[in-house]
Amino acid sequence: MILLEYKELELLITRVREISGFDFSGYARPSLLRRASRYLTKHTMNLSELYIHIEQGGKAIYDFIQELTVNYSEMFRDPDFFISVRSEILTYLESYPAIRLWVAGCASGEEAFSMAILLKEAGLFDRSLIYGTDLSERVLSSARQGVFGLGHMRTFSENYMLAEGRNSLSDYYNVAYNQAVMDPYLRKNMVFSLHDLTGDGVFNEFQMVSCRNVMIYFNLEQRQKVFKLLYDSLGMFGFLCLGKRETLRYSGFEENFRIINAHLNIYQKIK
Amino acid sequence: MTEPPLNPLNLVLMGGSSGSFVIFEQIVKLAVRPLPCAVIFVIHRGKSSIANLSYLFKSKTKVRMEEPQHLDPVQNDCIYFAVPDYHLLIGPDKRFYLDDTDKDFFSRPSIDATFTSAAHSGIEVRAAMLFSGASQDGASGLKLIAEKGFDTYVQNPDFAEVPRMPAAALSQYGGHHILNEKNIFEEISSVLYSYST
Repeated sequence: MILLEYKELELLITRVREISGFDFSGYARPSLLRRASRYLTKHTMNLSELYIHIEQGGKAIYDFIQELTVNYSEMFRDPDFFISVRSEILTYLESYPAIRLWVAGCASGEEAFSMAILLKEAGLFDRSLIYGTDLSERVLSSARQGVFGLGHMRTFSENYMLAEGRNSLSDYYNVAYNQAVMDPYLRKNMVFSLHDLTGDGVFNEFQMVSCRNVMIYFNLEQRQKVFKLLYDSLGMFGFLCLGKRETLRYSGFEENFRIINAHLNIYQKIK
Repeated sequence: MTEPPLNPLNLVLMGGSSGSFVIFEQIVKLAVRPLPCAVIFVIHRGKSSIANLSYLFKSKTKVRMEEPQHLDPVQNDCIYFAVPDYHLLIGPDKRFYLDDTDKDFFSRPSIDATFTSAAHSGIEVRAAMLFSGASQDGASGLKLIAEKGFDTYVQNPDFAEVPRMPAAALSQYGGHHILNEKNIFEEISSVLYSYST
């Protein structure tokens, strides 16, 4: 295992910004240190080899940034969260003529497709629009295709059943060439586009924002900025969903939300 | 913070897997206020494990116990338990960071992740200890802490319920102190309170 020190990491962050324009400065350092060390180990590089590698710019540095920012995702991750969304959020949104939902930091679309299925089973899908955004064009193009490795579907199906799904997850995909291809019907009301939570602004008003396990990427100051962006993107009485271990603590917006589910970190904007 | 810190922040790190739970319970029982260090337990748990260890051990000690959240400050006189499904990292700014990168040795939380981050944090590590378990997780993190000049301890594999983890640590680095069955808890207690003021 090749391990970096913090001062080496800071120099690397500066160099990455100079070469690519991508700014890691708002990212949580301990996590970044771990990710960068893992990158070196995985690619059997030392730090000077990494510099030579990223100096090439283009794909080389893009891949490096991609590996340091990619987030881990599953369909119906934390099944009890989806049970709660169904009973506590969708019952509320039922009365709305149109529902806009934003999955911020959507990676390859696992969460967005899970939401689409949930909305469909609640009879709300036809008047819903799901926006999935991420800072990586690569994961987005995979999300747009709606294709997942068949190997993952077992875990996803187990999650779906634990989330008390109405059917079988396999009703929503076809298998082709050892891959699960999501039903194109679900793609109809989904939009995947590029958006960097650390740089880009508000682009619509939403009734629900799901930003799970994304806040843990950021340091205190950056996290507060992202919370402001999410707050500004929510309509009044809109819902904010955070990861299972993420709360509004240190967000600066503790007073602006009421707790819908303290265990699952579901909040509603009230002022 | 309601009370001034007892002395500069210093960490006692405890890692374990199968066979460690009972030992951890005993260690928690040893803790009395004021605890002159922050004790951080990392035990392998399933991702759907919902048992909150700080509640589970509530009757065992009067010391404050928490499952830290992202960015919570690390403080002396507190016992922390890593939550399931995230790595628990310690930052140079004396805060906890949650991380969901890949598992180490099929484990999240991984002991190596916590130990390694503590070694890099610049925060004083009073001691790091590794107990019974069925994987090699923790061995390289413990070695790194030892190489930084801090005290490291390993449960004697001969009396560990599952010897693989402490044995792996010893095979990677021979300089760890050995915790033997007859006086393990006396020894841990003296580590916890060694230079309390």
